Parts: sequence; structure tokens; C-alpha cells
Amino acid sequence: MKKNITIALAILMAAVTWASCKKDAPVDEDGLLITTRRDCYVSNFELLGTDFVSVRVGSADIDTTQQTIKVTVQFGTDLKNLYPQFTLAQDCKLDPKITGLTDFSDTLNPRKWTVISGDRNIRKPYSVIVSVQP
Amino acid sequence: MQYISKYTGFASLLMALLSLSTSSCKKDSYALPVASDKLQNQAIKRTLGPNIVGQQIEFAYAMAILPSKGKLASCTAEASIAGAPGTYMENRSFHTEQTGADVGDTVGLPSVTNGTTTTVTYTVDTSAATLRYYYVIPEAARGKTVTIKFTATSSDGESISTTMGPYTIAQMDMKLNMKVSNDNMMYISIADSTVYNAADAATHAASIDLVYLYRNRPNSAFNHALVAPAADTQYLPDVTLPTGVNRTAKLRKTFNLQDHNLAPNEQYGGIFIDDIDFQQLDLTGSPNYAINLKQDAGVWVETADGKYRAYIFFNSVSNSSGSAVISMKRYTLK
Repeated sequence: MKKNITIALAILMAAVTWASCKKDAPVDEDGLLITTRRDCYVSNFELLGTDFVSVRVGSADIDTTQQTIKVTVQFGTDLKNLYPQFTLAQDCKLDPKITGLTDFSDTLNPRKWTVISGDRNIRKPYSVIVSVQP
Repeated sequence: MQYISKYTGFASLLMALLSLSTSSCKKDSYALPVASDKLQNQAIKRTLGPNIVGQQIEFAYAMAILPSKGKLASCTAEASIAGAPGTYMENRSFHTEQTGADVGDTVGLPSVTNGTTTTVTYTVDTSAATLRYYYVIPEAARGKTVTIKFTATSSDGESISTTMGPYTIAQMDMKLNMKVSNDNMMYISIADSTVYNAADAATHAASIDLVYLYRNRPNSAFNHALVAPAADTQYLPDVTLPTGVNRTAKLRKTFNLQDHNLAPNEQYGGIFIDDIDFQQLDLTGSPNYAINLKQDAGVWVETADGKYRAYIFFNSVSNSSGSAVISMKRYTLK
């Protein structure tokens, strides 16, 4: 009887030790899960004004080969104060992060964001080219 | 024998625990609370949101005494700063009927206000009543704090008081339902909280901050707009400004910020803009125009001289007549 209890305890301890030593899923410096996905593209793009209403005219033209996003905004849009919104392929992230209002007024030098794949090995810079409706 | 002894000890411990649990769950006997034989009172503030000069703060003051001890004699509200004209106390005590309607029963003479004090003297034999007190915030209280001391007296000579507050009175002020219209009442002065036509704007040129206009453009959304006179002329199409009207301003569009003071009838108007919102507002880098506005849109504004910040809300718009009804909260910075 005593022998059986000892064996059972040994098995339990081994199981606990194994579980505690199991490798954690890898995360990046932002605490985001690093996966095996290699997709790396922008699937949708939105621009909001200070009133959080879209200023787009038509949908954004996203070219995943040229890595450009062309978007036309309404006449009178304040280009210095816009909120960009990116929709990315699964597990991707954006660099730099969007933290608030963004200035798009320098239309000759489009702003750039880099999309980073889920496995964090592929980086694709996208240029956002904004033009104002006449 | 040893095992039997251990078993008995364990059973005793279990029984002791069970009996302890039973006794701790035993229901306490209930005793009806005994009403105090003293004069009682209680007050609540019924209005919500910032306290703005010219607006009312409403209180409900309840007082009661045991009928065997006497009846209510008088009720007094004393404000730390005298209320503006219109300050009064209801001489009716309200109860809510089954329909939900509040019905008032007259219990005293109309209130008499003398300086900081408003008094109702009871004329009926009642031992309990709730009177409402409406304090109209005076200009003298702007930026200060106000306290209200309620006092009830009874026929047996007892007196009881409760003090409400202090309540901070907002620095900002408010102007509701100003009608603006295309090519007529279109020049807005934040300093004057007034809308002018072209002729009057010329005589108040130094204080005109914004121009209202409506344009229905086929290929772009212009709609209703607030534009500083100094803005690029493409935002003031076909507008000839009166002589001297040339100030700029900083503007930021917003939408659905339905301030409850400016839009009391809005379905979702549970938001209050207060002094702190203007104090923390940062319009650095904002343009001097806001176009494509519609009903429920709002615009934060800072005047060129940095003297005023304001929030202008579009209560309603009419595309057919090219007009709108706007309301404004204004905060003085300097």
C-alpha cells in the first residue's frame, strides 16, 4: 500500500515539473505573440478627422506590390490632424505605432509605416499618399 | 483501541464545528426601528452638471416631526452668496401620483427672499413636507463656491439645519439657440456671444471671430461651415467680408458631443462640458476653418487673441434655407 502511494506521488510530481518547465509561447518586445505566419500586407486603410468621421472620398487604393496606399480626402480636410487606421494581415504589427493625430500635410514626402509579419521576419514599408479632393 | 480513540476525537471535533456553524447562522430577531422624536431633515441636490451663472440649482429639502410633538412652522434656505432674481422656494410639497406626475400641495405662503435668505412659512397643519429650492446662480458667484444652509423649525420650538455644498460655480457662460443664416446673420462674435449681419458686423469688426455659411457644392461636401474671416478664400466662397472683419481663430471639428446644457432635448445628451475641458483644450496646429458640418456637429474654438475658448454646437440645420441654430459655451482665459 505504502509503495503504491509513493509511486502515485512520484508520477504527480513528475507531471507538475514537466508542466512548469514547458516552454512559453514566444512574444516580442510589445508583448505580442510571435507566430509562424509570414503574411505581411495592409488589407484596409481608413482616415478619420478630429470628429472621428471618415474623410475619405471612395476607398483607399492599396497596392501591396508597390507598397503604397493612395487615398483621396474631402475638400477642406485638415491634413495636419488626422487619425490613420490600418487593417493588417493576421498577426502583423505596425511600426511606428499610431498614438494619436498624425500630420499628413507634407504631401511631397508621404508618411511611411512598416508592416511586420507574424513571425517578425518580414518587414514591408508602405507609403501613404494623400490627395485632397479639388 | 488506539484507532477507536482517534476516531472518537475526530468525531467530536466535527460535531463541535457543526454546532458552531449552526449557531453562527441563527437568525437575529428583528425589531421595528423606533422613529426619532426629534425634528428631522434631509436635503438632496436635484440638478446635475456644471453650475453656470444664470442657471438654476435645484434642491429638495425634506423635514418632519412626530405629529404628537408638533407641526412644521417654517423652512429657510440661506445661501452663502445671494441668489440672482428668480431664486425662490416652492410653497408646495410634492408627491408623485400613479401616473408618474408630480403633484404639489400648498403647505405655506409663497417664499420670501431677503438678501441671502429665502423663507417659507407654513400655513397648514403638517408634520412632514418636502420643499424644493431653486437657487439662480448670480454673476457675483462666478468662479467661487456656494453653500446652502437649510433650516426647518417646528411649532414646539425645535430647529434643525443641514448644509449643502460647497458647489463650485463655473467660470464659463452659455448662450443658447442663436440663429445663423446664409448671407444674413452670419458673423459670429465669441467675445459678444452674438450673431451679427453684415452691417452690424462692420461696426463690431474687431470682435468678429467666425463666419457662418452654407454651400451646396455638387462635387465636394461643403455644407454648413464656420470659417474665420482670415481663412483662405477658398473656404469663404462668394463671401465679401465687411470692412475690418479679418480676425483668425483656431477650430477643431467634433461630432455627437451633445452637451446636455446646449442640447437638453437630445436623446443621448448626457455629457456636460465643464471649465476643465476648456482649460485642457489644446488647439495648437488647428486650422482656421471647419467645413462640412451638420446637425449634432460641434466645433471647439479659440479666438485669435487667446482670450476665449468656446464650444459651438449645431442644434439643428436647414439645407433648404441655408441656416442653422447654434448654441455656445464660452470660457474666458484671460
